[in-house]
Amino acid sequence: MPGPGVAAYLILSVILFATGAFGVLIRRSPLIVLLALEIMLNAGNLALIAFARQTGTGSGQIFALTVMVVAAAEAVVGLGLIVAVSRRRVDLDVDKLTTLHG
Amino acid sequence: MTPFQTPSIDWAALSPELILLGGAAICLLVPLFLAHGWRRHFCAFVSMGCFIGAGAAAVALFQMDETGTSVVADAMRRDRLAELAQVLIVGSGLLTVGVSYAYVLRERMGEYYTLLLTAAAGMCFFVAANDLMTMFLGLEWFSISLYILCAMAIEEVASLEAGLKYLIVGSFGSAILLFGSAFVYGATGALGFEDIAAASGDADQLFLVTGLAMIIVGLGFKASAAPFHMWTPDVYQGAPTPVTAFMSAATKIAALVLTMRLLVTAFPSEENLWTISLAVIVCISLAWGNLGALVQTNVKRLLAYSSISHAGFLLMPIAVGTSLGGRALLYYLIPYAAMSIGAFAVVGARERELARPVTLDDMAGMGWERPGMGAAMTLFMFGFIGLPPAGLFIGKFYAFSAAVDRGWTWLAIVGAVATAVSVYYYLGVVRAMYFQPAAVRVAPAGGSPPRELALGTSVVLAVVVTIGSFVAAQPLLDIATDAVSFLSFPH
Repeated sequence: MPGPGVAAYLILSVILFATGAFGVLIRRSPLIVLLALEIMLNAGNLALIAFARQTGTGSGQIFALTVMVVAAAEAVVGLGLIVAVSRRRVDLDVDKLTTLHG
Repeated sequence: MTPFQTPSIDWAALSPELILLGGAAICLLVPLFLAHGWRRHFCAFVSMGCFIGAGAAAVALFQMDETGTSVVADAMRRDRLAELAQVLIVGSGLLTVGVSYAYVLRERMGEYYTLLLTAAAGMCFFVAANDLMTMFLGLEWFSISLYILCAMAIEEVASLEAGLKYLIVGSFGSAILLFGSAFVYGATGALGFEDIAAASGDADQLFLVTGLAMIIVGLGFKASAAPFHMWTPDVYQGAPTPVTAFMSAATKIAALVLTMRLLVTAFPSEENLWTISLAVIVCISLAWGNLGALVQTNVKRLLAYSSISHAGFLLMPIAVGTSLGGRALLYYLIPYAAMSIGAFAVVGARERELARPVTLDDMAGMGWERPGMGAAMTLFMFGFIGLPPAGLFIGKFYAFSAAVDRGWTWLAIVGAVATAVSVYYYLGVVRAMYFQPAAVRVAPAGGSPPRELALGTSVVLAVVVTIGSFVAAQPLLDIATDAVSFLSFPH
């Protein structure tokens, strides 16, 4: 029995991307924001792989592998920064990061 | 089964990046074996050597490559556009080393220079990108380096905040760029810029146009063009001043050169869409950047808004989509990068003297106290307006005339109005330096640090490039014409 088609994966990736984007825009904890960013990147990955299947080319899969590496590096830097901020302040809230404004 | 064949790699084309990465490895490892006092000097000199070496490699490649070729399995371009951009990026890096020399991060100067070198290497890689994957990889390569650089002064909350904000907003932009790339790939089945252009005829237009729009948004975030600029003032203000100087010049060069290459090579048949959408971004950037700058009191923040408005001026020649525009962009970048680093260097020097963030009032009397720095800052401010003897005069002239040439006189008028508005805040800095009575200041504990020779040298070099690009405009314009000659512009 055939599984869901490429279109279903694309729809899922759009939903994931939208979820991630909303998460970045409305959540306050930097940790959750970082999580939402990872969801956005992985939505891109899913779309790349689905399109690789649809177009019958392999380059999309290689691209997705590369993105995984990049996403991991980004998460490391992000978590490092959050740890550094949390050592300086007790409450983690992006709305309270307002030393810089104008 | 056919044997697996790896693509042949043109090491010469990658030499600027490799030299910078080699330097990064040295700066990271060797200082461990050096006495504390020597680390800072050692790393600065290694970085300086690597920037000069990478620049020499890029210049040599520029001399060699009469025509452009695709290298490393068509993932990268080896052509004069990339090489000219690389020269400008490593030049910015070199000036930044001078600005950074006085800057002391207690234990972390090795890491600082390492990240400066990797960021520059990533940008050199990015401007040579010839497919969407290399583009994304290069973008993240230099972005991640810059996120850490912004947060490098971890004792200061402002610096940490700048790093975290840049990371969140920058990654948001990258994720949009990635999703757009996926759509373009889905529509055309190709990642290479030329292959996308070749396949776009019978591609799914909905996917292609959505993807193109998302890619433009993603690159707009990096170029700090409005309405994707919201991170710029905070990050420029909070990041260590040498980092801000580097970012304001080098990131703009990389993002704008690649935007032009991508749009012209990969999307020639969609030019009616991207030219007009870039023109809209130009107008918003000019309006927002200049109006925002009017009310700023912090000088770094003021310069950040100025940088947003210059993103508008720089996107204008890309938006018109002509070879005249391409030439204007590349020429404009030369004085702009020098002046931007120079202006932030002067602010950095003032910051060092006062040991606190510099507001416009803090600039009062600087023109008399430090005549050299004051004169340089005056030149940069007049230059940003677009007055001679700064090269930006000619840059703006060519950018506007490219718009008029395309028949978009209205865009040139918007640019002229924006320039007129900008006179107010640029002259505000000059006024503060010369005509505002200096407030009685309490010197920082231990007295002001001595003047910094390396920083001064960087400012002098920036002045030389600013005026030199005006005096030697014709040879530089010829070089810029050479660099864009093989791109087939849609108009």
